[in-house]
Amino acid sequence: MKEMRTLWVLDRFKGVFGKFGVDYPVMRRILQIKLTMDGRRVPTIIGKARNKDQADGGKVNGTEKNQFFSSLWLYLIFGAFSSMFVGLGDNFIFQMSLIFGIFMFMIMTSLISDFSSVLLDIRDRNILSTKPVNRRTIAMAKMLHICFYMFFLTGAIAIVPLGVGLVRHGIGFFLLFVAELILMDLLIVVITALIYLAVLKFFDGEKLKDFINYVQIGLTIVIALGYQLLIRLFDFVDLQQAVFQPKWWEFVIVPVWFGAPFETLLHGDNSIPYLLFSLLALCVPILTFLLYIKLMPSLERNLQKLADPGSRKKEGAGKWLKSISHLLGSSPQEEVFFRFAWTMMGNEREFKLKVYPSIGFSLIFPFIFLFTSGRERGLSGLPGTKLHLFIYFCALLVPNVILMLKYSRSYKAAWIYRVLPIGDRVPVYRGTLMAAVVRLILPLYAVEAVVFAILFGGRIVPDLIVAGLAILAYSVLSFAYLSKALPFSERLETAQQGEGMRMIPLMLLLGGFALVHYAATLVSFGVYVYAALLLAANWVLWQKAFSAKLP
Amino acid sequence: MISNNSSNSNNSPVITLRDLRMRFSDRYVLNGIDLDVNPGQIIGYIGPNGAGKSTTVKIMLGLVEGYTGEVRVFGESPSDGGVDYKKRIGYVPEVAEVYDTLTAREYLTFIGELYGLKPADAESKARRLLEMFGLKDVFDVRIATFSKGMKQKVLIISSLLHNPDILFLDEPLSGLDANSVMVVKEILALLAAQGKTIFYSSHIMDVVEKISDRIILLDGGRIVADGSFEELKGQSQEGSLEQIFNQLTGFNEHQEIAEQFVAIVQEV
Repeated sequence: MKEMRTLWVLDRFKGVFGKFGVDYPVMRRILQIKLTMDGRRVPTIIGKARNKDQADGGKVNGTEKNQFFSSLWLYLIFGAFSSMFVGLGDNFIFQMSLIFGIFMFMIMTSLISDFSSVLLDIRDRNILSTKPVNRRTIAMAKMLHICFYMFFLTGAIAIVPLGVGLVRHGIGFFLLFVAELILMDLLIVVITALIYLAVLKFFDGEKLKDFINYVQIGLTIVIALGYQLLIRLFDFVDLQQAVFQPKWWEFVIVPVWFGAPFETLLHGDNSIPYLLFSLLALCVPILTFLLYIKLMPSLERNLQKLADPGSRKKEGAGKWLKSISHLLGSSPQEEVFFRFAWTMMGNEREFKLKVYPSIGFSLIFPFIFLFTSGRERGLSGLPGTKLHLFIYFCALLVPNVILMLKYSRSYKAAWIYRVLPIGDRVPVYRGTLMAAVVRLILPLYAVEAVVFAILFGGRIVPDLIVAGLAILAYSVLSFAYLSKALPFSERLETAQQGEGMRMIPLMLLLGGFALVHYAATLVSFGVYVYAALLLAANWVLWQKAFSAKLP
Repeated sequence: MISNNSSNSNNSPVITLRDLRMRFSDRYVLNGIDLDVNPGQIIGYIGPNGAGKSTTVKIMLGLVEGYTGEVRVFGESPSDGGVDYKKRIGYVPEVAEVYDTLTAREYLTFIGELYGLKPADAESKARRLLEMFGLKDVFDVRIATFSKGMKQKVLIISSLLHNPDILFLDEPLSGLDANSVMVVKEILALLAAQGKTIFYSSHIMDVVEKISDRIILLDGGRIVADGSFEELKGQSQEGSLEQIFNQLTGFNEHQEIAEQFVAIVQEV
C-alpha cells in the first residue's frame, strides 16, 4: 500500500477534523484503504492475472493505477473549450455565471452517475460500523473520499479556464475563481448528499432506490433546462453589451450567485442584487456544509434502509410480459432471455443508476436543440422546417443502454450461462436487445415522436416512422459493435475506462443516419425509399448481426 | 415454554436485554427478548430463518436502530452513541462482506487498526494467526481470489485480532473443511474457558449441541427455550437438539414436505 500524497496534504488539517469530532488517524486509515481499493478496480480478468503474479511472490503496487485518472482528459478538453467564456470580455456576471453553470452541470452529473455508489455504500456499514469507530469519522471519510475525486475532476475541468483567467484578468480574478470553485464543490457534494438524505428519510427499501433513480432523471432534465435559462438571462447576441437585470427568480439560479462576486469584488459594483448573490455564494455552501455535518450520522443510519427488503411486488405483469415475449421471440430461448433481460433491467440497481440519467438527457436534448435553433421563429414557425430531424438526438441513450446491459452488480451469477445447456448465444443476445428496445428505447422514442408530431403537424409522420426504423437498426448496430458479452455478466467497476472513446464512432453513426435522412427529404419519395431500405436493413440486421463477427 | 437459566456465575452479566422489541415496517421481528449473558459461556443462539437472531446481534452491535426496550453490552447501550464497547466485541457476520480487492495482509491490518491496535502489531498478529490456519502463502494475495473457506478464516481472524471479550459468530464454520472445523471448535472452547463469551448462531444443530454451554432457541421473535442441552432434553423428551428444535418450533411435517417436493421434481 502506498503512502498517498493526498493524505499528506490532509495531515495539515488534522486539528480541524478533531474539532468536528472526527478521529483523525482512523479516518486517514479508512481513506487510505478506500483509495487503495479504487486503484485496483481493474477488469476481472486482468485482476486475476495480476494476482497470480502476486502469489508468485511478486511485489504488488507499481502497476496500480486509478482508472478514474485516465478519464480526466475528457474533462480537461471540455474545460479548455469553456475557457473561451473566461477570455471573452469583461462582462463577468454573464461569463462567470455561464462558466459556473457548465461546471456545476458537468461535475454534478458525474457525481451522481459515478459516485452515488460511494455515497450509498452499505458494505461500509457491516465492516466499519461494527468496529469502534464513531459515525462521524466514517461519514467524514466518505465525504473526503468523494471530495478527493471532486478535487481532480474540478482540477481537470478548471485548469485551463483558471490559466486563461490569470493571464487575461490577473491574480485577483484567479484567486477569487479558485475560492469559488472550492465553495461550488462543497455545495455540490453537500446538496447531493442532502437530497439523498431527504429521500432516505421519507422512503424505504426498494421504493427509495427507485426514487433515487427518478431523482436522477429529474435532476438531469432540470440541470439541462437550467442551463438554457442561464443563456436566456442575457442577450446572447452581443456579449459586451449584455445587460444584466436581476429579477427575483434569478435568485434560484445558483451559477449566478457564483458569477456575482466577480462583479462586486473586481468591478466594484456594489448594487444590492450583486451583493446578495455574492453573499449567497459564500454562505449557502458553508451553511449547508455545517448542516450536512450535523446530519451525517443520520444519513449513515438511514442507509440501513437500503439493505432492508422492500415490500414484495405484486404478481401480474407476468402474464402480459409473457405474451409480448411470445409475440416477439422466435424461439423459446429467445423469449426466456427477453423476459430475463426485461426484469433485470427493472431490478438491477446499477443498471438503473447508470442508465436513467441518460434517459433524462435523451428526453430533453431534442427539445433543447429545437428551441435554441427555432427561437426566432417561435413554435408556430416549426411546421415546414426540417428541424424535426433533431429527434435523432433521443437515440443518444442507445449506446449507453446497450453498453450497460452487460454489467451487473451480481456479475458472478453469470456462471449459470456456462452451466445451463445454452448451445447458441444468438437467442441470448437477440432476446436481451429486444427487451432493451421494447422496454426503454421505443417508449422513449414514442413519447418524443408524439410531441414532435404535435409540434410539427401530421406531415412529419412518415419521417418519424423512418427515424424510428433508423433507431431500431442503430440499436442492433450498436449492440454488435459494443457488446457481444453475455447480458449482466461483467463487473461494473470495469465499465469506467475507455468506453467514452468507443462511443464516439457510434455518435458519428447516428449523425450519419440523420444525414442520410436529411438527404432523403430533399428527393421526392426519398423518404419512402429510405424507409424501405431501413426495413430491409432491419430485417437483415436482426437476423445476422448477432452471429456475425464485427470489429 | 422452558425457562431455566443454568448459569449461576457470580460475575455480572456482560449482556443484558430487557423486553427488546424491534419492528420492521409492519412486522415485529423481536417480540420482547429478555436475556442475561454471563462471561465464559458459549451460547448457542438458534432458531428458524427469520426468527430474529441476526437482528438481535445487529442491535447489540449498533447496526440496527429503532428498537424499544433495554440493551446493555458491558453496561453500555448502543443507542447512547458511544463506540468504545465495540473494542471488546468480535463479529463474524453471516453474509461476509469484505473489502476483497485488498490482500489479506492489508485487510487484516486495517481491521486491527480500527480496533485500536498498532499497525505493526496488527500485521504480525494477523500473519501468525493466518499461519496457524495454513494460509501463510496467501498473506499478500487479494481476498477476491480466496475460496469460501479461506475467506471465512480471514473473517474469523479479523474478529479475534483485538482479543475481544464477546464474540458474535454467525455460521462461523461455513465453508471450512473438517480439519479446520475441529480447530475452530477447539479454539472456541479454549476462549470460553478463559472467560470469553461466545454468541454462536448456526443452523447446524449437531455442532450447537456439542459446543454450547447454554442454548437459546428463538422463534417468532421470542425466546422459547433457554438452558443447557441436558435441561432442554430433560424437558422435551427428545433425543437430539434437532428434534427439540423441531418440536419447539412446532414443525413436524418434514416427511410430508419432502415427499411432495420430490413429487413435484419428478413432474417433468
